[in-house]
Amino acid sequence: MTELPFESIVGAWVATGLTLLIFSFLYKDNPLFKLAEHLYVGVSVGYVIVKTYDTVIVHLVVKPIVENGEFALLIPVAIGMLMLTRYVPKAAWMSRYAFAFIVGMGAGLAIPRTVSSFILKQVEDTIRPLLSVTGPDSLTFSMNLLNPASHLNAIIILLGVSSVLFYFFFSIEHSGAGKAVARTGILFLMISFGAGFGYTVMARMSLLIGRLTDLIEFSDASYGRPTVWLSLLTIGALFLLARRGRAQPPDAH
Amino acid sequence: MSLSERMLKIDRRIIFLVIGLCTLLPLLYPVGLPIKISSEVRGVYDHIESLPEQSVFLLSIDFDPASKPELYPQAIALLRHAFRKHLRVVTMTLWVSGTGMADQLVTQVAKEMGKEYGTDYAFLGWSPGGQAVIINMGQDLYSAFPSDYSGKSTKDLPVLDGVRSLKDVGYMVSLGAGRPGVEEWYVFGKDKYKFDLGGGCTGVMAPGLYPLLRSGQINGLIGGLRGAAEYESLIGQKGKAVAGMDAQSATHLAIILLVIMCNLFYFSLRQQRG
Repeated sequence: MTELPFESIVGAWVATGLTLLIFSFLYKDNPLFKLAEHLYVGVSVGYVIVKTYDTVIVHLVVKPIVENGEFALLIPVAIGMLMLTRYVPKAAWMSRYAFAFIVGMGAGLAIPRTVSSFILKQVEDTIRPLLSVTGPDSLTFSMNLLNPASHLNAIIILLGVSSVLFYFFFSIEHSGAGKAVARTGILFLMISFGAGFGYTVMARMSLLIGRLTDLIEFSDASYGRPTVWLSLLTIGALFLLARRGRAQPPDAH
Repeated sequence: MSLSERMLKIDRRIIFLVIGLCTLLPLLYPVGLPIKISSEVRGVYDHIESLPEQSVFLLSIDFDPASKPELYPQAIALLRHAFRKHLRVVTMTLWVSGTGMADQLVTQVAKEMGKEYGTDYAFLGWSPGGQAVIINMGQDLYSAFPSDYSGKSTKDLPVLDGVRSLKDVGYMVSLGAGRPGVEEWYVFGKDKYKFDLGGGCTGVMAPGLYPLLRSGQINGLIGGLRGAAEYESLIGQKGKAVAGMDAQSATHLAIILLVIMCNLFYFSLRQQRG
């Protein structure tokens, strides 16, 4: 059996411990879960701060200016520094220039691209021919539900889009024929929510599978069986916490 | 208290236990249920298969460890496929919190496939700006990433020979767990700079990306752990995703049964109460 590097073993113990502490919430909210939760937030924020400082300040600002003399970089740095004036009430107005720059540039970049990608392209895809001309006198209609480009699916999409749009049209009362169309819209919405929820369940179960796969792997003797020892430790700690909770009288408010 | 009432007031921890066992047991004792390949996953696979050797394949690892169980197996399968096809693999991330994980992932698969850094693959790391990075890469890749993750000048990397911007990329796949991700790569990348784009995403995001797939805005989509399992089956190297599929099916079955039972008990109680 090949011996694992020391850092892999330490990593396995830390990962197993934190996973079990988070899972302890399934029993009930407890200090062990809180400890793991706070560690997660702290480590994530710390990591992001260090990486951002190293990449942005050191590699994209300081090094190019000092080593290559790229002094033009001082302009975006100055605009960025204006943001910090928010902390000085008398100079806070200066931060508006930085915000104006960011909002203006962001909107200018995003609006035309978003309209093109999400509105025009999607409208173009929704308005498809309901029949195809295959010869001088022949029309074809494909009924294959599994083919997204079939004519039957084009009709279903047309019905779905029209009825859902009508459902959100509140200027006329949804009665008579209008009620039937609005109900059809609700049906399409429900199918869409159901599909979305189904995928969400699948995703959450995948996360559980991921953690359990690691716990099974870390129960191996090559890691020192952290899953076994730390499970016993966590259960023991939860038992002690539950006993202490029973022994102490509830807080008087 | 009737059976229906007792069942509807069941301790939620019993349900957690049932779901836990339904996940754990198939992982310990796999059955090997068949995996059917969907056309959306095949779209990504077929496109990579169609690329000639030495084409540039750009993989953007736009997720962090929170989405690792779903997207890590996708990334491993894609990298194995690209390396096996002898493509020039360029990797990067738009998520600062995923930088270390992405580096570990790329290094691990490249080592396994016997690939050399700089010649066969590169990891450009992270650059700030999200969608602005994509626009910048579309104009000049070296301005968006003057140096790679290890600090080497990107202009000196042989793997990037002849690549000046996104227009020179043969195929690009974004594995996204949110924003920036697949949508941003389409909106600010493909729509403007016209390169072939495929996507991979978490299960939660998949329904929102199907409209892009249907309209041909992306040519393939790998959705969640299921998509990763399909890709692993396609390349014939079964890994963690395939191993998790039995557990996934078992938990889905358990949830369906729980929903049916809950409804039966609810309607039975309503009938009892008149």
